Amino acid sequence: MIHDKKAHKYGMVIDLDKCTGCGTCAVSCMSENNVPFKEDESDKKDSITWMRVYRLTNNKPFPDTEVAFLPRPCQHCGGKGDHGHSPCVSVCPATATDYGYDTGIVSQIYTRCFGCRYCMAACPYHARYFNWWDPVWPEGMEKYLSPNVSPRMRGVVEKCSFCYHRYQLAREKAYASGSDEIPEADYQTACTTACPAGAIVFGDLNNPSHKVHQIVKPDPHPDPLNPDVVGKSRNPKVFRLLERLGTNPKVYYMSEREWVRKLGDHYLDGEWDKVKNVYGSASHE
Amino acid sequence: MKVDRRSFLGLGIGAVAGIAISPVGAKLTDDFSIWTQNWPWTPVPPDGEVSYDRTVCHLCPGACGISVRKIDGRPVKIEGLDPYPVNNGGVCLHGIAGLQYLYDPSRVKSPMKKVNNRFVPISWDDAFTMVAARLGELRNDQNPETLACISGSDQGSVPGLFKHFMAAFGSPNYLTMPDLESWLIRTAKTLHGDAYTLGFDIDHSDFILSFGAGLIDGWGSPVACIQAMGTRRQRESTLVQIEPRLSNTAASADRWIPINPGTEADLAMGMCAVLLKENLFDPGFAQGFSGGFMRFTAMVQKEYPLDKVAGITGISASDIQKTAVAFAKAKMPVALPGKGRGEGAQNLKEFAAIHTLNCLSGNVNKQGGTFVKPLPKYLNFPDPVQDTVALKGAGSAPLAGSVQELVTRIDKSGESPVKALLVYNANPCFALNDPSRIRAAFEKIPFKVCVTSFMDETAMASDVILPVSTFMERMEDVPSKAGLAATVVGLSKPMVKPVFNTRSPGDVVIGIARALGGDMAKSFAWNSYDACLEQVTARIWGPLVRKGHVVLSKNLPAGSVKTDFGFLAENPETVKPAGALEFTLIPIDNFRVPPTVPAPSPFAIKIVSDRILKGTDMFVEINPQSAKNLKDGGFATLTTPAGSVPVRVHFNDGIMPGVIGMVKGLGHTLDNRYVSGKGVNVNTLISPKIEPDSGMDAAFCIKAGISKA
Amino acid sequence: MSEIENKTEHGSMDGATAGTAGDPKNDTGLGLGVIFFIVAFLICFLSGWLLFPKLLYSKHEQPFNFDHVLHVEETGDCESCHYLREDGTFSGIPKTESCLDCHTDEPMGDTKDEAIFAAEYVAKEQEVPWYVYARQPDCVFFSHAAHINAAGMDCKSCHGPIEETRTSRHYEENRLTGYSRDIWGKNIWGIKKNPWDRMKMNDCAVCHEKETGHKGYCFQCHK
Repeated sequence: MIHDKKAHKYGMVIDLDKCTGCGTCAVSCMSENNVPFKEDESDKKDSITWMRVYRLTNNKPFPDTEVAFLPRPCQHCGGKGDHGHSPCVSVCPATATDYGYDTGIVSQIYTRCFGCRYCMAACPYHARYFNWWDPVWPEGMEKYLSPNVSPRMRGVVEKCSFCYHRYQLAREKAYASGSDEIPEADYQTACTTACPAGAIVFGDLNNPSHKVHQIVKPDPHPDPLNPDVVGKSRNPKVFRLLERLGTNPKVYYMSEREWVRKLGDHYLDGEWDKVKNVYGSASHE
Repeated sequence: MKVDRRSFLGLGIGAVAGIAISPVGAKLTDDFSIWTQNWPWTPVPPDGEVSYDRTVCHLCPGACGISVRKIDGRPVKIEGLDPYPVNNGGVCLHGIAGLQYLYDPSRVKSPMKKVNNRFVPISWDDAFTMVAARLGELRNDQNPETLACISGSDQGSVPGLFKHFMAAFGSPNYLTMPDLESWLIRTAKTLHGDAYTLGFDIDHSDFILSFGAGLIDGWGSPVACIQAMGTRRQRESTLVQIEPRLSNTAASADRWIPINPGTEADLAMGMCAVLLKENLFDPGFAQGFSGGFMRFTAMVQKEYPLDKVAGITGISASDIQKTAVAFAKAKMPVALPGKGRGEGAQNLKEFAAIHTLNCLSGNVNKQGGTFVKPLPKYLNFPDPVQDTVALKGAGSAPLAGSVQELVTRIDKSGESPVKALLVYNANPCFALNDPSRIRAAFEKIPFKVCVTSFMDETAMASDVILPVSTFMERMEDVPSKAGLAATVVGLSKPMVKPVFNTRSPGDVVIGIARALGGDMAKSFAWNSYDACLEQVTARIWGPLVRKGHVVLSKNLPAGSVKTDFGFLAENPETVKPAGALEFTLIPIDNFRVPPTVPAPSPFAIKIVSDRILKGTDMFVEINPQSAKNLKDGGFATLTTPAGSVPVRVHFNDGIMPGVIGMVKGLGHTLDNRYVSGKGVNVNTLISPKIEPDSGMDAAFCIKAGISKA
Repeated sequence: MSEIENKTEHGSMDGATAGTAGDPKNDTGLGLGVIFFIVAFLICFLSGWLLFPKLLYSKHEQPFNFDHVLHVEETGDCESCHYLREDGTFSGIPKTESCLDCHTDEPMGDTKDEAIFAAEYVAKEQEVPWYVYARQPDCVFFSHAAHINAAGMDCKSCHGPIEETRTSRHYEENRLTGYSRDIWGKNIWGIKKNPWDRMKMNDCAVCHEKETGHKGYCFQCHK
């Protein structure tokens, strides 16, 4: 059932020029995924936000200052060479997180996790969060919890799942209608549908008819400069976070502004000028 | 044979061996580990059939259509409704958090009265009887005009019922909070006459000149604005943002022009002068000009020469000139007034001057321009039955034009001219400048009734609280407003039975009126608010129920409008920030923090930056160039003529040197530990300053000093 | 020598002289020990296998007896009551409202159980608090649609011949985990004769591996 079909590779592209930093994606995510809250959430290291919106600045003094916002869900890394060895999956001693080769989505199974937090240390994107406390909802508020996502307990790690439950439901719907295909519109994450600016596009990176594929134009060949990097975008405006690490995230970002694209990685002096105009593998241009 | 130690040893070993090769150990270990994976106290949300129900959000003036996902009738998620003429599937974080408001810890769970400074629950009957007895006294004493009412907004059938109530009671003292719509109506009244409002077609405009309007920071109908900004680049529409701080809107604009805080009116006048001088105004539209156009032209040329305006605003003369010309030469320009969210302390001169730019451009009642729209008239209330007491009272002169002016009246009188106060859907004791002054005035009012869903600052200052259902629990018409081009009336429907012992606000008004009896009861002959709604919206009720919304006007308003320049021709004085300190403190409207009613949800507070709020510490923004000995993240004392508070410093290159920014809407003191006691309410640092022409508080900013703590 | 060692030595000496077990001539102590061992072993071994499973689960009576045979005769199949919804989700145990398609608050037959149903649930508009034998933990996502529609399985292959039951058996709940014994394994020996004897994760995996060639990824069955 799994291997006889063409595998999906669900991914996202976020237009940072459209993102307003309003935070609707973050709240939609929390509401969709039963993310709890506590009295003080201002210590951002222990504040569970599967989708976190970072503020970027070009660091220039007044009045040349510019600001952009970068929403960061789990990047659902494919790992080196895109073989499914995501940084977190590789280190989990409990198999509480695995790589779904059928979807490209990195799972997190709360009941399996015993809270060692290796994955948090391994994740270069700070996308994973630890439940230091049991979730507590004010009296009566637990009535709004969704049955589609299991509430977590103290002592486990959680993270964005690309709203996998929506994939599960879309698949059920497809089965019920006797279809094998999941239409693009049937599986969209909660952040994507909520974004009032329309900055997030989600879909199957392997499916040329999906919008995300058309925007990203992922290169099927490894980057000749760095064979660990696969699926580099052939769109000059599109980049990934810490792309040269070879983690192969499935979350892409897009911006017209060079300073924003440059903030996607740490560059030594002169490095940026060498890479800034290299899109995809040269062999495939 | 004797039982000895060794026998017992045998017994023990036997028992252990017996247990060891039974399944007890393995099974208990397995079950124990499973028990630890699913603690019994971790909630298990019940599963069931999924359904979607549609309604309209009225948490803010946005009036977005929303879709509520339910599991066996239990709401679990709010999403944007698609299609819907306001927001087309979009939604904002506050709307999504609507479910949190249902179960908010600060919900008022039953009617309450204050006894010895503490609230005790009472029944609805007792509450109505008590309120009617106290209000009845005013009418018995022939002083119905001593009842005042403060409502959060002016439109829709519920504010309509409050107005109906005030008319039947006999008081002209119905006031609304200064929301964007009230400023737009006031502006339209000043330039075009009564019963108009303004709408801005930013979806089609190709040049948006925003005087601080936070198009993606919560201005107007926030989702509609953000959507328009999302497609702006594709449409090749230019946004020029003029404000002292690099707001998110400014950051996404094509051009950000920093301006000295509070000088937007002068800039707009200066730009008017440029257009008039260079003959860049629309002669066709100018045919509708009346009332002092020539005087206005002469005045701005004389009083607002480029160099002078450049000096006042801190913008170079060439920039002003260039921007004004670009605006005038654009095909579909629109100039937007209303700093930040466009509510609270603004000023009429600024609104009028900015709208004058629209009028001069001639892009009025045209696509991509400014719509001067008649106020929606879909409500038909029967005439109130007014007895002689009511007629006399209703005919008396209103005490004030704004809540702040009313507070000043009370403040200055020995005995309060207001003997009883009704507050609905408003939190003046938090949301207006200098809340302590407002609370003090409230103290002088002998009887205050608060009609609210939450135990907020104003509810706590009142004598009786009549709790109302939230928007998820009640039926109500929701007219769009706040600068939207189209006029849409949505029908908000109950998505869930009231969680607490609350009623619809309409039913509360009807309940009080009926308890008052006599002619008051006659004016409120409806059995329930739902029946009243059906009757007063009779003209559109059918489609409203069937479709969930009715588009009243989508096309351009018909006919020409007259434009009267009388107000601006007099060159009203610009309200300047009070005080003589070195810095200027400006409030920042951050989209994640709602500034008025209701208070932020736990989700909203959760995503507030730790450079705004850390623990309970409040941050203020300051440009490092003017920070002197202050340190980024360090503690400081912020002082204004109104007060002094401890703050922490956040260095932001994107704020003008000499300006201090503080986010508005924090520092609540209500009974909700997720929201309360966090940060400082910036309003406590700003004293109101009444603009003579509008009677409104125009103190947007204030002079301030900051020193290392 | 410390005081403690002193005492210990002394104590053991005492034991050796006072007791008979140390006496090489009289070995009955050891024999008794062996008997004790055997008795204790047998008691613990047998209670571990026989009594412990009974103690581990608490028994619950269903609110009233449900006769599947009778209902299948009337409706003809399982799907009339337990069906896939349009969106592909599984309806599970019917709500009282669905029962009202046939039932009213006046019993149709003369069984005690139907009288309870009519009086307590239909008349009072309440849902019947059935104990669900096959309910999985909250962390499990199980797709009936995938098994019925995509894999073409019938209800019986996992749930057994429920349509042949005239009475509702006890629901057995694990006292520690709170889960149904049908999930956790009916047989304490771990012997599984039928698919419905146990439905733990490994049981899913075994079948998936056999049928699809792959155990499946975590998220296939977890939420």
